[in-house]
Amino acid sequence: MEFVDLLYKIFLKDGGWLTILNGLWVTVQISTLSLLLGTILGSLLCFFRLGKIKPLKIAAQVYISIIRGSPVLMLLMLLFYGVFARQGLSPILVAVITFSMHTAAHVAELLRSALMALDKGQVEAARTLGFSKWQAFKLVTFPQLVRIAKPVYQSTIVNLIQWTSVVGYVTITDLTRVINNIASRTMQPMITIIGGMIIYLALSYLVYGIFHWTNRRRTQ
Amino acid sequence: MKLKKIAKVLLSCLVAGALFTGCGGGDKPANDSGDKPAASTGNVKLGMISHLNVTEQKMDEILKMVEEESKVPLTNFTVTYYDNLKLMQMGIESGSVDQISLYTSVADYVIANNDKYEKVSDLTLKNLSDTFCFAVRKDDAALKADLDKALDEMKADGSLDKLAKEYITDVDKGTAPPAIEIPMTEGAQTIKVGVTGDLPPLDYVSADGKAAGFNTALLAEVAKRSGKNIEIVDIDSGARAAALSSGQIDVIFWVVVPTAGKVRADIDKPEGVELSNPYFKDNVEHLKLKK
Repeated sequence: MEFVDLLYKIFLKDGGWLTILNGLWVTVQISTLSLLLGTILGSLLCFFRLGKIKPLKIAAQVYISIIRGSPVLMLLMLLFYGVFARQGLSPILVAVITFSMHTAAHVAELLRSALMALDKGQVEAARTLGFSKWQAFKLVTFPQLVRIAKPVYQSTIVNLIQWTSVVGYVTITDLTRVINNIASRTMQPMITIIGGMIIYLALSYLVYGIFHWTNRRRTQ
Repeated sequence: MKLKKIAKVLLSCLVAGALFTGCGGGDKPANDSGDKPAASTGNVKLGMISHLNVTEQKMDEILKMVEEESKVPLTNFTVTYYDNLKLMQMGIESGSVDQISLYTSVADYVIANNDKYEKVSDLTLKNLSDTFCFAVRKDDAALKADLDKALDEMKADGSLDKLAKEYITDVDKGTAPPAIEIPMTEGAQTIKVGVTGDLPPLDYVSADGKAAGFNTALLAEVAKRSGKNIEIVDIDSGARAAALSSGQIDVIFWVVVPTAGKVRADIDKPEGVELSNPYFKDNVEHLKLKK
């Protein structure tokens, strides 16, 4: 009973759960926007990376290796406290820019590896059968690409959600920040952090669930 | 099929929970046996909150100087530095350190909220204290002057003591002091103050997500007196220095060693930062887990 009281005090009392939900909302917002922008930017990057234009190819290569090889927190701090320090951009916007840049590099790589796994002969066959370049991509490459890239994409999303837990460094109160604040206020760090972990876990499982659902719909 | 999945998730949560509590429980007996010889050799593992901008080496030097100056034996502590109070608390709960160093007001708050802790009855420590002040950028001299003026006024008419009494001394054990709304005047200059929410009852974030505590009450009073708007920004303690120097925030809270003489008050002051007059003084207190 005492433990239940403690849980009540930590997570529910005085609208504490609302604060947690607000934090969760911020995390979801940043993750979703970054995923959207990151995927678009990543596809573009992959296009450049595999394209025939030399300068763009090299630029994409350099970008991907820099971003993938450095911690996202460093990039976030650099952008917020350095590059955009005087522009007065909102911290959430800077966070979305950072995580989009980060996700883009990862999406570009995962698309490239998926494309490399495809059988080139099929596209060539389609082309000889009179399909245009676009048709061959749309009807032959793309469906297979989606199938191969999906599992990796799913784990990229889950990773992205977890990466966003560092935005407390740029004055954003996200889920991790809320959990930390609660831990400091209630002086019960262990229980509070386990609670926070469970929320993140639930979020990840939600993503897995959505993917599972789309897979099932496809097979039905 | 679905039930099986749910059961799996629940089970893994349980295992994780058991793992955590198991660790805490397992460490306790080890602590009991390990504590006694440690005390006799005079070597106590102590957790401390790291000061901004000071390396651990420099911090050890400072502690040595404080020891010479105040005659409080400090070298028989082996110090581990933590980024914030929460991590330090996890450190002591997992058995990495035997004692943690806090301020009296914070220690009282910890004890009131978590009955696992008790004070270490070591009277020599009572000679040590730290003072709290604001830190601003060096090129922001006007702001420092304004803050100092407001603080001096508050000291002179006793409202500073009243606030400290109201928000620290008189706060009911176990309950947190209420959050206070900072008045906003239209068109006035706005300064941003970074709070970490890491040091209740001085600085914490209330259940409804608002910054609260003594520091907030103090800021409200400073805002009233200086005619400025104060915007409170919640920030992770590790990023405070970067935020201050880049101009994203204008004021952060700072703690200084007040001993005069050999130990300069601003010994850990980084380049390009100016400290205001002190507004609060608190003694150092050590906490340990109850046996």
